[in-house]
Amino acid sequence: MKLKLNRVFLEMGVIVLIASVTGMLWNHKMLIGVWSGNLDSFATVSSASQGQDAVPAPAGLMQVRDLYERGAAVLVDARDTLVFSRGHIKGAVVLPVGEFDSRIAALLAKVPLHSTIVVYCNGYGCHDSMAVGKKLMARGYRNVLVFEGGYPEWKDAGLPVEGENDEA
Amino acid sequence: MMKHEMWRYARPILRVGLGLVFLYAGILKILDPVAFAASVAAYKILPYNLNYLVAATLPWVEFVCGLLLVTGYRVRAASGIIIAMNLAFMAALASTIVRGLDIDCGCFRQGGEKTSAWVALARDTIFLAAAIFLCVKHEKPIVTGKIPAWE
Repeated sequence: MKLKLNRVFLEMGVIVLIASVTGMLWNHKMLIGVWSGNLDSFATVSSASQGQDAVPAPAGLMQVRDLYERGAAVLVDARDTLVFSRGHIKGAVVLPVGEFDSRIAALLAKVPLHSTIVVYCNGYGCHDSMAVGKKLMARGYRNVLVFEGGYPEWKDAGLPVEGENDEA
Repeated sequence: MMKHEMWRYARPILRVGLGLVFLYAGILKILDPVAFAASVAAYKILPYNLNYLVAATLPWVEFVCGLLLVTGYRVRAASGIIIAMNLAFMAALASTIVRGLDIDCGCFRQGGEKTSAWVALARDTIFLAAAIFLCVKHEKPIVTGKIPAWE
């Protein structure tokens, strides 16, 4: 009986191992992105962090929509101003990663540090939202989320957008 | 012997049913790992990196276990893993209730309608019971006549 149980546990271990390795190989790009992105953030942000999460947490569409509808978060668009003007989430503030230093003062003046901020850009392949999110945390914002689905997912869900192409 | 007849089929039906549930749950998450990572992150249990590691691996474990149950191969081990996963899910769900987190369970489709922690807990209890039954009760081949002693 004991031998049989050991065998079942061994099988369980093998199954979990095979499945996990498959999953890691399947998602290796995502994992490498997460790990490499996170490593440099530890180097740059940890000194400025206030003990809590120094890295923005990912947020899904539903969570962002919930925050948006309750007016509980400030949305920050990390794409450049031209793309922003073509179409963005209604009410979002533009803060491109390249213009962060010149525009951050205006945001600091308007948005208190305890506010929840959701940063987004052009969806899953786009890393600017994470970059801007980290910079915001380094400037003292404590509740920063990154909406990884970004503008494409928001628009596809039929949620409010504005800009020159908002009818398209 | 009517009762006995029914029991003979109850187990394979339960096995395939539970297998399909986990196949479905796994596939939905495999197709959208980043959204699942966000769901895991919403529980605020794991550090940032590990949310992604869970999102990369857990759906595959669900998928493989579902596949094993459906095919009837290594059922005890697969249902054992499902028991362990369900206990972990239920602990996580209970922790959201205790902490007052109002989040989607992220159990199946990512995004869309929110499933409350209580509903998810009830669902997981059923899955857990089914998995325990499959793990403990041996499947007997549906044959008539005597089988020579195997064990």
